[in-house]
Amino acid sequence: MKKGRKKISFRTMWKIHGLIFASPFLIGFVAFFLLPLIHTLYYSFNKVGVGDQGGMTFEWVGIQNYIDLFTAEVTTTNTTMARLFTEENSTMLLSLPLIVIFSLFMALLANQKFKGRAIVRLLFFLPIILGIDVVMDMLTITTGGTTLDTGSSLLSGSYVTIFLVRTLNVPMRVLYPIMTYVENIFDLISQAGVQTLVYLTALQSISPSLYEVAKMEGATAYETFWKVTIPSIMNITFFVVIYTIVDLFLKSSIAEEAYAFAFTQGKIGIGSALSIVYVGNVILVLAVAALLLRKVVKKNEK
Amino acid sequence: MKNKKQQTNMDAGLAIYLFKNKAKHAVVRFFTLVLIMGLSFTIIYPILSLVPVVFSSVEDLGNPNVIWIPLDFSTVSFKAATRMIMPEGIMTMVKSVLYAVGIMVLQVFFSAMVGYSLARVNFWGRRLVFGMVILVFLLPRQSLLLAQYISFVHFDVLGIMNLFTKAGEVNLINNPIVLVLLAVFGFGVNQSLFIFLFSQFFKNIPKELEEASLIDGCGFYRTYFRIMLPNAVPIISTVGILSFVWNYGDVYYTNYFNPQGSYMSTLLSSTFISANKDYILNALQTWYDVPVATDLAFDAVKQAGALVFLIPLLIVYLIGQRKLVENMENSGLVG
Repeated sequence: MKKGRKKISFRTMWKIHGLIFASPFLIGFVAFFLLPLIHTLYYSFNKVGVGDQGGMTFEWVGIQNYIDLFTAEVTTTNTTMARLFTEENSTMLLSLPLIVIFSLFMALLANQKFKGRAIVRLLFFLPIILGIDVVMDMLTITTGGTTLDTGSSLLSGSYVTIFLVRTLNVPMRVLYPIMTYVENIFDLISQAGVQTLVYLTALQSISPSLYEVAKMEGATAYETFWKVTIPSIMNITFFVVIYTIVDLFLKSSIAEEAYAFAFTQGKIGIGSALSIVYVGNVILVLAVAALLLRKVVKKNEK
Repeated sequence: MKNKKQQTNMDAGLAIYLFKNKAKHAVVRFFTLVLIMGLSFTIIYPILSLVPVVFSSVEDLGNPNVIWIPLDFSTVSFKAATRMIMPEGIMTMVKSVLYAVGIMVLQVFFSAMVGYSLARVNFWGRRLVFGMVILVFLLPRQSLLLAQYISFVHFDVLGIMNLFTKAGEVNLINNPIVLVLLAVFGFGVNQSLFIFLFSQFFKNIPKELEEASLIDGCGFYRTYFRIMLPNAVPIISTVGILSFVWNYGDVYYTNYFNPQGSYMSTLLSSTFISANKDYILNALQTWYDVPVATDLAFDAVKQAGALVFLIPLLIVYLIGQRKLVENMENSGLVG
């Protein structure tokens, strides 16, 4: 009896130690996440002003801030909020599959065995550094508008394009979207650093015996890829997609807009409303992505 | 006789088959190599294309005859850039690096602790806490910026600030302690991701290790610091590298919470905005007796600045890159 009791108390002690270890995050969660979230929600329903003795004054206005946000207010670059959100979301949805597929592609290449693989890997993960926002900003050329000299002029001025247009009469209408994608390839690569790393490790953790079996059974490389490689990395694809969405949202310009509303124009309420709408938007996109992916993952597991 | 003929026939067939196979392999190999080289080129092209720009003399910029090798070698752009983004000389860089290292150490230390207890200790509400970590990771940090900012302007923990100041609150904006607080309490750059990585790693460490150390009479803390942490070197170095890179290049936290601190990243991003162009061109002309400085010179100086900024990152990357791939395999994220 006594022994059993001692064991329980030991377990409890262990749990308490665990809680102590986790406590920094718990404190942080309340101080830097939960309270700010509640405050933001509260501000967004109020007209926030500065009181006589410093301090802040609140005046309940209901959802007026949200209505103003989409009807009256404009961003710092003079577009409407609805437009800002559609633009952010559509660029995100366009680049998401491209980044995911691209990182998988790079990982597949880096996983091949060839001479000089170490150097190639060194280069392939360079985007982890080059993809940092500041560096990307600095590498852009500002003279003559906002053109990005990251191999941009290589394709549009190249012989391939001239050949396609002049000799084969490929209409510019078809060529142009392809060209913009190819020309922005560095943009894509620069955001695929961590994802490539994750994919590469996933590929390396696939047991070689699976490939051996496939080879014995006479599967072609194509079949092996779809039947062995893809199902094995489906779980990690889930992680990569979520990570990419989060990463893309981190780079969006909403923060600056909210900051500008609150501290340049003094409309804290509107800025908070913007933040809340933004949170809703992120949750919506993530939920849809997660639901879709779960179906695909399950299908592959069967 | 007949048997022999069959044999040669078979040999020929085998030879053809082998040759076909070889040819196929060669073609596939060739294409993969071309692809790899193309991609590698795309990645380093932006850096390579800087070389002729930042190393040529300012007068030569925009000269259509110069493609790769500058006519007059000069380091004026570099000198100008370092003078602008490193006001205290090399000390600015040292300080930025030290800042990133300090935050990195805090992030690793506290993320590892939280990750360990999430993975190995079944305390009350563990699943809830894990959900919190994921939630923090999913929601973009910008969305809470306003409220966080305001709470730092009027910083006050349960009224204890009344003891120290008259107003009952302190303004912590522009005080580097904010950045330390964020890192300690798990809200630094991408820290929820780090916590997640640590917990995934610790999940895969065999339970026997813990049990053995318990039987040998170690308590919770000794088990953690003597047994678990030394075994976690791979994930520590992975998280360490990522944390250093992201903190050194961070402009979000430093810009909003400590705008007057002289971090290289914020200096870089605030100096080279288009609004500053005339100022920079003027400075270039007066400092280095450059007769004409065009817009191209602005870009040259800006990119020279970016290169200088990249130096510590590249050093860390070159040292740590190989480990990064090896370690991620053991990180427990996969499998």
